[in-house]
Amino acid sequence: MLKEGMELIDAHFKNEGISRRDAIKMFGTSGAAMLMASGATTEANASSSAVKAKILIIGGGLAGMSTAARFTNSLENPDITVVEPGDLATSYQPGQTLVGGGIWDKSELVYKTDDFVPNGVTLIKEKAVEFDPDNNTVKTSGGQTLKYDYMVVAAGLKLDFARIEGLGIESTITTTGDHSAVSKVVGKNGIASIYFQEGSKDTWIQMQKFIADAKSGKKVKGIFTHPNTPIKCGGAPKKIMYLTDARLREAGARENADLTFYPNGSKMFGVKEYHDAITNQFEARDMKWNFRHNLVAVDPVKKIATFNRHWNEKGAWDEDLEEYSIIPRSEKVERPYDFLHITPPMKAAEEIANSPIGSSKGWVPVNKESLQHIKYKNVFALGDIAAVPMGKTGGSARKQYKVVVDNIISMMEGKELTSAYAGYTVCPLVTSIGTVMLAEFDWTKKPTPSFPLDPTQERWIWWLLKVYALKPMTQYGMLSGRA
Amino acid sequence: MKKTTIVLLSVATIFGLNGCGNDTPSSPEAKTYAKTSQEVYQQSCKKCHGENAEGITKKKAPALNDRQAGELELDLYDVKNGGTNQSSGTEHDIMEHNMQKLLDKGYDYDPKSMAEYIEKNFYKNEETKAASDTE
Repeated sequence: MLKEGMELIDAHFKNEGISRRDAIKMFGTSGAAMLMASGATTEANASSSAVKAKILIIGGGLAGMSTAARFTNSLENPDITVVEPGDLATSYQPGQTLVGGGIWDKSELVYKTDDFVPNGVTLIKEKAVEFDPDNNTVKTSGGQTLKYDYMVVAAGLKLDFARIEGLGIESTITTTGDHSAVSKVVGKNGIASIYFQEGSKDTWIQMQKFIADAKSGKKVKGIFTHPNTPIKCGGAPKKIMYLTDARLREAGARENADLTFYPNGSKMFGVKEYHDAITNQFEARDMKWNFRHNLVAVDPVKKIATFNRHWNEKGAWDEDLEEYSIIPRSEKVERPYDFLHITPPMKAAEEIANSPIGSSKGWVPVNKESLQHIKYKNVFALGDIAAVPMGKTGGSARKQYKVVVDNIISMMEGKELTSAYAGYTVCPLVTSIGTVMLAEFDWTKKPTPSFPLDPTQERWIWWLLKVYALKPMTQYGMLSGRA
Repeated sequence: MKKTTIVLLSVATIFGLNGCGNDTPSSPEAKTYAKTSQEVYQQSCKKCHGENAEGITKKKAPALNDRQAGELELDLYDVKNGGTNQSSGTEHDIMEHNMQKLLDKGYDYDPKSMAEYIEKNFYKNEETKAASDTE
């Protein structure tokens, strides 16, 4: 069916005298052009507000910078400060999968934070280390005390490779910050992770070695993990596996490789339609999976991954439940690998998790629709650090930053908070080189396609979207606060 | 029909123009529940989580009165959906299992409304907790 669709699209272009290459170009530029045009319209129509307030944004990644840009567009007298220590924090993270699969070069991902600071916004290149929301102040690593009327927390998350034993990693890292603690072992000897920028480049190097081994006739094993914590971009652990499969096929070496997905959970996707579609795609590609396996240790020398395999056993009758209780069981299992793609456990930064604005699980607890903090009414959170179900994607941040800005402006004007996030998330699931399943969904746990096309099908058109349009859309639309 | 052209255009239009903040979620009709959150709590939850959501150690059921609605809602969402993420799994292995059984028995609820019910009736913040501890 997929082949049919591709031929159909090709035929359409051919009829119009357009080659696929031209179509790609046209698509990329028209998408961006439309965005810029629409941005201008939005700007002209936006009623700018004359209210004044000191706005402090913690974090200058995609979520924080887009928020700053929209405030700048919407306020007549903006007074906005962004606290962000990372020089590359604003980088395009969704492209890391493509770098890991050898489709993009790492240089295409790198955005300098400095280049995306909206006019008039103050950037403080320090870390926010102490939060005192009762007095509306934040202390920075450089010893400054910053006062605010409204605070937006968009500090992202930390990659916690240290929780995996045997790697010799003791500290957490961020996706675009100093990665030396991790890259001394991840990105070498068959261990890879696309979850940090440098690691995505190393993933492609390791993958090529793995493919070369398979091509030389060696029987090789590839293992792909998914941890027991919420993670950013829930689809990436699978996307890199699909790309490994595609590259092996391209090399004519697929039959020598055994590829297995080991997630902690027991589903491919929270939405049944997508779960079923992915299961079928895995089967069609001879990609294997073993649910309920959480990576707990790696022996990089012997090349063995240790998982905590967990299951439930029937227990005694429970009168209150009127049902048999269950007893959780687990055991350690060892699996040899030649190529190991690690999706690390993730968590909120300690200085935020343990502060008054944090929570028992670390994430900043907010009303999931208004994105307002549950205790401190002048604090909002969005992006990876916000405690909302699903989310933690660029696609959800793209919806959330508008909600945050609109609600804070309403508050400044003494109005009700009417803007609401509905849980929209999009996962452009790369299923091969040339196909993507555009999995859009929200808290209803149903597919919520933006287009009148079966959302469970892999399509070349979504590949074009992922590879050519989403980056300019992010750059010109989102980071300028427009779309 | 030039299906491709239509799709290309709508991609640009939808992704480009929906920046105006008027997105309406294309969700189906709102789900309705046979019982109110209060009924579900009083008929089922309290047997293990306690009269005042204080938790019952013997039942290995944690307190639910130590978190505000926003935080509790995320936990209830995790329990009902077996996780909040694609393949991470749930942070409540036992309760996820029990919840499926309870859903079969008709104890379904909206996580937001249940979290609000529990906060409104049972939530103990640090001040009230300190006060009740010294009583």
